[in-house]
Amino acid sequence: MTGMKEVREMSIEVPVEPPAEYESLFIPVPKEFVEDAYRKDDFIVFIGPQHPGSGHMRIIVRLKGDFIVEAIPDPGYVHRSMEKLAENRLYVQNIPLLERPAIMDFGNYNLGYVRVIEEALDIEVPERAQYLRVLLAELGRIGTHLYDAGILAVFMGHTTGFMWPFAVREFIVEALTHITGARITGSFIIPGGVRRDVDEKVLRMIGRIIFTIENRLEKFERVFIRNPTVVARLKDVGVLTREEAIKYGVVGPFLRASGVEYDVRRVESYEVYDDLDFEIPVGDDGDGYTRFLVRVEEIAQSMSIIRQVIDRIPEGDVISSDIEAISRNDIRGSFYDALAKITLPAGEYTTLTEAARGTLLFSVLSDGASNVPYRLRFVTPGWMYLKGFMESLKGERLADLQAIYGSFGYFPPEADR
Amino acid sequence: MPGMLEIMVQNMVNIPLIQPLVDVLLKIPVINYIVALILWRPIFAVLIIPGLGAIMLVLMIIVWWERKLTARVQWRVGPLEVSRPIGGVMQVMADGMRYFFQEVIVHRNAHAIYFIQLPILAFLPVLLPILLIPAGPVYAIRSDYAIPAIVALIALIPVVIIAMGWASNNRFAYIGAIREAFMYFAYEIPLIFAVLAMMVLYGSGDPFVIVEKQTVPGILLNPVAALTFIIATVMATSRLPFEIPEADQEIAFGPFVEYSGILFGLVMTLAYEKLYLMSLLLTILFLGGWNGIAIPILGDFMPPFWLFLKAFVFMLIISLLRSIYARYRLDQALRIGWSSILAISIISIAISYALVLTGWLP
Repeated sequence: MTGMKEVREMSIEVPVEPPAEYESLFIPVPKEFVEDAYRKDDFIVFIGPQHPGSGHMRIIVRLKGDFIVEAIPDPGYVHRSMEKLAENRLYVQNIPLLERPAIMDFGNYNLGYVRVIEEALDIEVPERAQYLRVLLAELGRIGTHLYDAGILAVFMGHTTGFMWPFAVREFIVEALTHITGARITGSFIIPGGVRRDVDEKVLRMIGRIIFTIENRLEKFERVFIRNPTVVARLKDVGVLTREEAIKYGVVGPFLRASGVEYDVRRVESYEVYDDLDFEIPVGDDGDGYTRFLVRVEEIAQSMSIIRQVIDRIPEGDVISSDIEAISRNDIRGSFYDALAKITLPAGEYTTLTEAARGTLLFSVLSDGASNVPYRLRFVTPGWMYLKGFMESLKGERLADLQAIYGSFGYFPPEADR
Repeated sequence: MPGMLEIMVQNMVNIPLIQPLVDVLLKIPVINYIVALILWRPIFAVLIIPGLGAIMLVLMIIVWWERKLTARVQWRVGPLEVSRPIGGVMQVMADGMRYFFQEVIVHRNAHAIYFIQLPILAFLPVLLPILLIPAGPVYAIRSDYAIPAIVALIALIPVVIIAMGWASNNRFAYIGAIREAFMYFAYEIPLIFAVLAMMVLYGSGDPFVIVEKQTVPGILLNPVAALTFIIATVMATSRLPFEIPEADQEIAFGPFVEYSGILFGLVMTLAYEKLYLMSLLLTILFLGGWNGIAIPILGDFMPPFWLFLKAFVFMLIISLLRSIYARYRLDQALRIGWSSILAISIISIAISYALVLTGWLP
């Protein structure tokens, strides 16, 4: 009717005021970030902390269409202030405390902390005890890698890939029960050795367990590792190049997946790792699938290490003669007499340990007089690779977030400590 | 002019097995109307088998079977504690009871009217195709356009799901609704092409003609069309590896994230109901429909029995997918849908034309 209408520029007044919850819930994004996202028609999605694929953390994801532009972590939901708690406990009481971040991997966590004390007090550890420590550490490594494989599988909707590693992990738990008496959190390693000797029968049983696990993992490989849907989901996803991985301080298997051959067990060998033959699996691509395959290969290497330990373990004491124990084979009866009065000479003592998920740092500052640490610094691998994890999310699709999450095996309780 | 009762009695399902009982019941004043109504062919088809009653049976057994089968694959036991002597079949009933008595939360930001009515409305596209799916002598409507009409009615279900995601007014629900829309286009065209291929092959859209012509099952005549149809079924019912719109670890059940209580119970069963409908369609098109070994004692009940059994066995087999595959990403699924599946669906039409033109088929 009216023919040509006057062309007007329309603008819709979209409210760019961020919701009040951003402030009241202490969301770690500035107001400008939200306003900018609203103006550019981006989408801000909160993944977590009550989300089936987030774990105990929140990831604030800014989406452009289906692609992640920015990922901001909001960790700390399971922070337990372990460093502060450690300042109020005897040195020996800290052993069970400091293994809590990664309960399956307690061998490595015990080992890292106990070696700090041994280094400060110059305690010589008997060889049999060293072998047993390696055994615990490697069992924990297999268990943790299986756990992470299960989480990776369920994040991609593969429930069989979730159940099978958890069932296989049960064998590891059984072995740990026979050694330490506890399924997880064994607190078995003490300054100067291990709590008690392990019977020959138990060692033979662990050998059989390793055989069984190997067989079951072959089935797992057919169903999950070589599954075309799994390969499609993980290949070329969340790529960290060698330079990026080094720049963001990624550690452990995730660093090795990007092509950096760094393993504390080789670089600064501790215990008897020097005498054992094992390879360090290294990948080239730095994508999710390589990160997963590196850990699968590490399971095989750990099993090889355990076999060597069972073959080569020497007879002898398991508690150092530097410790005042009634028996050299069992600390029971003299535990507090021998270990409660530990006081480190003044100074700072640091150890690096290769835990299942990467490099673990323990650093104790002692004032030389008190029987508790003056300050304890404790950096877990999860915290170290959180930055790399967030960087690898950028440019990927929203659906890839869980796949990348699983490929890193990020474990919030470990990172938050 | 015959009364209502006569109309119904003349067109009643004849089952020799229960005929003596029916004869007795028809003599009782009020009961006779009820019995005649239930056994009246159109009502029997819609209400009992292959209709509502069969759907309920399928829901009860298939959910239990899927959980039990997955458990067996995964070295577990599966549902057992509810009704231990019969292997935990009643677990589904127990879950249903729980859903029924759970509070239905309608959150403040939802569009309450649509949010509540859509799960109930979703039953319309589930039950309407039943009118057109015949089981031999037991049918409600006979039409030359039954097969296209069934496909069209089934295609309404995703529309309802997308509307649910929109009414939920939640970010995850919104993303899920978008994913559902994308998947919808990725599978619907190959699905229609596969059905089209079979209609070209049989030269009709009437299920009676189609089943009559299947002296050799359609799956052997045109396996490519059958493959397309099966993959499209898996995509359409969002089963793994195409469980993309729901993806609980990624977007927390997508369009259904805000539903709770009995409303969640209703939306959760939608995919199974759709699977049942598509299995019936698959049986008619590819597996010889209601043809089967004659069981005289079942009489008119025999064709629906065979139709149901074939569809049900197909559902039992397809349940295994859940324990084998991980979930594809949306873009990967779309690439599969728009390239390889679309290509083989077009090939299936070509095969059908080749079979018809070379005169291999009467």
